[in-house]
Amino acid sequence: MTIQTQIDEKLNDKVLYQNLKGFATAYKASKVNAYKGLDFQVLRTKVHDLKDRDLNKVMQQFNLFRENVEKHGCKVFQAHTGDDACRYIADVLKDHGVKYMVKSKSMTSEEIQLNQYLEKEGLSPIETDLGEWILQIANEHPSHMVMPAIHKTRQQVAKIFSDYTGEEVDSENIKAMVEIARRFLRESYFKSGVGMTGANVAVASTGTIGLITNEGNARLSSTVPPVHIVLVGYEKLCDDFSQALDIVRVLPKSATGQIITSYTTWIKGRVPSHKNEDGIKETHYVFLDNGRLAFFEHPKFKEALKCIRCGSCANICPAYEMVGGHVYGDRYIGSIGLILTALYQGDEAAKDILKMCIGCRACSFNCPSGIDLQSLISDLKLVVGKKYGINPIKEKVFKTVVAKPKRMKSLLSLGASFQFPLTSTHKLNQEKIIKTVPMLPKEMDFRKFPALASKTFSKRFFKDGYDQFSSQRKVFFYPGCAIEYFYPEMGLAMVKLLQKSGIQVDIPKTAACCGIPSIASGDPDNAKTMIYNTLDNLNDAADYEALLVLCPTCGGAIKHEFLDFTKEDPDRYKKASQLGSMVTPVGKFLEDNNIKFKLLGQNTVTYHTPCHDSRSLDYSAEAFLSTVLGKQFIPLTDSNVCCGFGGTYSLDFSSISNGILNKKIENIDATQADILVTDCPGCVMQINGGLMHQNKAVKVMHLTEFIEKHLVVVE
Amino acid sequence: MKIAMKLLDQFLEKSALVGNNNRIMKIADFQNEFNKDQFEYIHVPSFDLALDCCAGEAGIGRALIEADFAIGETGSVVIDSCNENLRLASCLAEKLDVIFPLSKLVGSMHDVAEFLEERTSGSGGYVAFITGASRTADIERVLTVGVHGPKKMTVIILNDL
Repeated sequence: MTIQTQIDEKLNDKVLYQNLKGFATAYKASKVNAYKGLDFQVLRTKVHDLKDRDLNKVMQQFNLFRENVEKHGCKVFQAHTGDDACRYIADVLKDHGVKYMVKSKSMTSEEIQLNQYLEKEGLSPIETDLGEWILQIANEHPSHMVMPAIHKTRQQVAKIFSDYTGEEVDSENIKAMVEIARRFLRESYFKSGVGMTGANVAVASTGTIGLITNEGNARLSSTVPPVHIVLVGYEKLCDDFSQALDIVRVLPKSATGQIITSYTTWIKGRVPSHKNEDGIKETHYVFLDNGRLAFFEHPKFKEALKCIRCGSCANICPAYEMVGGHVYGDRYIGSIGLILTALYQGDEAAKDILKMCIGCRACSFNCPSGIDLQSLISDLKLVVGKKYGINPIKEKVFKTVVAKPKRMKSLLSLGASFQFPLTSTHKLNQEKIIKTVPMLPKEMDFRKFPALASKTFSKRFFKDGYDQFSSQRKVFFYPGCAIEYFYPEMGLAMVKLLQKSGIQVDIPKTAACCGIPSIASGDPDNAKTMIYNTLDNLNDAADYEALLVLCPTCGGAIKHEFLDFTKEDPDRYKKASQLGSMVTPVGKFLEDNNIKFKLLGQNTVTYHTPCHDSRSLDYSAEAFLSTVLGKQFIPLTDSNVCCGFGGTYSLDFSSISNGILNKKIENIDATQADILVTDCPGCVMQINGGLMHQNKAVKVMHLTEFIEKHLVVVE
Repeated sequence: MKIAMKLLDQFLEKSALVGNNNRIMKIADFQNEFNKDQFEYIHVPSFDLALDCCAGEAGIGRALIEADFAIGETGSVVIDSCNENLRLASCLAEKLDVIFPLSKLVGSMHDVAEFLEERTSGSGGYVAFITGASRTADIERVLTVGVHGPKKMTVIILNDL
């Protein structure tokens, strides 16, 4: 099945849609409550730093752990591969003549597909986590790391239980279903000769593992049977209890929004066990490499080994929320799932799913271990793009048009002149749009496309003499492609406003693309050309107060990606670094310069925070607008959640993009505002296009246009 | 004293949040009310109260266990459960009652780090933070208690010890 078919299947699954949407909303609220009174940034920096280590350090922790448990007679096995681990566990069962093994939830066992292995050997592992048990008897795999069966309804579970038990199951009564699980699984603990658990943390100073559960199944699995096997990845090691508790403090809060789970259990080796002749538990620790150890030495990918498996990167991912974990990930799920699939299973397995990341960076800001997940995904996209190629049409356009600024300019000017048979004026807002796009596939027809501007921003800037204004106070403005070719008015509105305040605005002599479309598509070579073009066309930082952008995605690229792509060119790197530190979204510049406004008219206004404003440039115009507009400002629910644009993503994964957009539009509807303001031309293109397609009369404006039309400067 | 009361409030709030029945009592009231017959397992060393059993597949009705510590930050009780019968009782009782003196209430999880280190440094150790009944939300995210272990948890805090 191709990835597109899988996506379509999930998008048509109404149950999945409702479950994931409901969870996303509830999770956000619980998480805020759970972290109340705590400083998330401080906590996650702690976890990040304690997990920041090289291979040497991890092996020191491992050796200490091993020494602490081996001296008391526990067994430690170092599994090089997943199969090594499976074989060892199977052998423990066979040596004891045991068929049944109860196990509590372990993503590591999913990674190595332990159950499949044991079943082939004629052994019977029994999942005891309710969600995992449901999926085991339904012969499925988890779609979420913490809530494995989130894609199932109560009716589906009732059917699974009734097929399995042969009993009649009330399909509405969840409590009764939980009772069935209690009854069947209780028996399993007592008939199993071996119990297996994972470990959320492994404390080197004593050789203790920590387990976090709500159900208490890990306690029973590690208590009732006479043999305990612990399957654990090396990355779970930490020095001592202080570090372990730093992890326990964030894990449940980020996982389910709980302050702590019902049970946090600390287990060390050979506890009393009356079922053994000597009255003491037999304990085995299986430490899994399976490719991890190599990455402790990798400058960037070692970050992925800081993951504590809370699943929050899935909980807040807009694309995951549309398709679920059976598509968005593999054995591991969510943003970290895309990454670990590439690292553990190889890039071939990950090459398609990596593309599903829209690049909104929400995961990077939510990760309680402080992993910049989105940037790792972006790096991996470039690796697989180069190795396996990208969409050939896109590559050709990037190479022959976008990476050649002059050709792009003449082609789009030609387009602007000859598009007239295709354009029309939208009846609700009088904006010029493309009436029908020839041969547009149906799934891409979810928003109206803006027409190309008849004259580019640069052309109007120089022709109308805006370059003649001179002042001591100067800023440099990088328009980017959207302002240059589609929305010159947004740029001109800003230029006029600043000149009125006595500030000179300079722009590049030649407009060039910032490279983000190529980076997001996994095309490093063309991205590099575009970045060099742009950088060479920007004036030196020294002459200016700020480098202004109206597109935060371009701004974010200059600030972050330009540095990555100029590493081998010291002159350009220096220029990128100097300019990067000066990148300022226009709203922030106005606030910093204390330019005051007041509102004209009675319109109500809401605001969408662009992903790259809040998460690349650390800015949102919400506070500014709220102050200026007072009661006429209506906050937008999930204002900083992605609108689904993502540049060419909205064409590559149009159905996901459309689904994300529809949720945004639902929230906009709920505000009943007359105007939606945002400060990214990409978001304007997406949201305005969607609203026009649905014939909704909300006016969408870039912040600069809104200021020009609805605010006046207060002297 | 003021700090202790603030901590107690914090503990009670978090403990109530997970559905626990919280009771604050004096030693004398506890001793008057205590009825051994209600329990199948008792481990309260502070008052030399003990009743042993090895809980099996059928589980047991009710257990009373003294906690070594309680944590204000999370509303958890901390129980050294290395003793196998204690461990089985706390896992398999339908109702779990946990008692602790107010003097054992600490603020943060890190306040018990040393205790964890000490109790798991030997050949075997098993310490549990327990915060409410056994729960699941695995079917349609509906919170349901008693999926494997206790269905009801009561916390008794002795405020004069």
